[in-house]
Amino acid sequence: MFKLLNLSNLFFWIEKLIKFINSIFFILLLVALSFALIFSPPDYLQGDSVRIMYVHVPSAWIGLASFSSIAILSLAHFIFKIKNIKLITKSIAPIGLMFTCLALVTGSIWGQPTWGTWWAWDARITSMLILALFYIGFITTYKLINDENKADKISSIIAIIGLINIPIIKYSVDWWNTLHQPASIKLTGESSIHPSMLMPLLLMFFVLILYCALIFLMKYKTEIIRIKKKNLKRL
Amino acid sequence: MIQNFLSMSGYGLFVWGSFAITFFACGLLYYKTLKTLKKYEREFAREINELSFERKKAVIENSKIASQVLSSFSKTI
Amino acid sequence: MLPKKVKKRASLLAITLLASVIGIFFILQSLNKNILYFKSPTDIKNNQNINFDKKIRVGGMVKKNSLIIKEEEIKFIITDFNNELNISFSGTVPNLFSEEKGVVAEGKLQDKTFFIADRILAKHDENYMPPELKDMMKNNAK
Repeated sequence: MFKLLNLSNLFFWIEKLIKFINSIFFILLLVALSFALIFSPPDYLQGDSVRIMYVHVPSAWIGLASFSSIAILSLAHFIFKIKNIKLITKSIAPIGLMFTCLALVTGSIWGQPTWGTWWAWDARITSMLILALFYIGFITTYKLINDENKADKISSIIAIIGLINIPIIKYSVDWWNTLHQPASIKLTGESSIHPSMLMPLLLMFFVLILYCALIFLMKYKTEIIRIKKKNLKRL
Repeated sequence: MIQNFLSMSGYGLFVWGSFAITFFACGLLYYKTLKTLKKYEREFAREINELSFERKKAVIENSKIASQVLSSFSKTI
Repeated sequence: MLPKKVKKRASLLAITLLASVIGIFFILQSLNKNILYFKSPTDIKNNQNINFDKKIRVGGMVKKNSLIIKEEEIKFIITDFNNELNISFSGTVPNLFSEEKGVVAEGKLQDKTFFIADRILAKHDENYMPPELKDMMKNNAK
């Protein structure tokens, strides 16, 4: 267990994984994009504007999933105080922030032709904006606070408080009247997206997840080097 | 056919706009992350190179990461 | 066995989390009315003290066969399948606006059954399918 968690072993695997993802990424991206933009049918109601879904929905999922994992890892860090966990959460944060913002921006672009407005202060959209603010808070603690142990502690607390926002985002469309439609893909039960549109959606999600993995690994590698550099005198 | 593909039955600006923004942002984040990584690798390698001969040898022997960064970095120059 | 320090931190965390979840629950409960993006016709019917000068949003389905377009003015009925509300609007509507689809109207109530909107938003549902499939479903329903 500890051997696996050993930083130098991890470092070796990170290098391999980055190379592997780089080798398959562009082919998969091309396949996913051609399905999303060419082969998938337009929607019966929204026409071709439904294609915005193929970037909007994966972005929102990644934004939510990243924050959930940051928060849960922060809980673990708060209890067990393992430095490595903090390096991981720090490496996930930029991806999460970017995709949360992308979900907001693409959602706004999708809202204009379909709903007739760029922005609405409904529960789903507002809670998503709050998620972006939590990300910004998490990331800026490291920029503002120089004492790293203190920054670790404060960012953990921000992440744990932000965890409460996650179920609110998820269930906002069921609990309150919102302009945003309810979820099409449910944890249990049938999805209300036709398979010919679900397939490109999942493909795009997979490609973006690979992209996230790539960025995460690069950032994590940077963090490991940063720690080693700081402790160079002790090596 | 191509015309249709570009106009997206009138939604072209919105569809292409959102795809463009997404991939532009992804590209930018990739570039920034790579640049920071290279910067840290370069600085780390330089700091090791500035050490005295014995210290440098010890560091490389003790730390796989240090030796890996150093070797991959000297390859790229 | 876990060290005592770890246990202490874990229990502290559990208590804080529990307390904040309960706190948030009560905050949301009290904000409930403000979180609603729009009111349904039933909400309006049941509401005793309506402020007729304040802009509000109402939402529901556009009732089948209720849409009348007269020159500049568009008239239709919003229904939540229990109660109804007459809407009058002049201006452009979003592409997705049509009968038997969701709609949110922003404007002022004239009385409890008549609403003048100055903005119409379309609300779509969570179903996505190709047009051919929708036609097939329509034919089957006939």
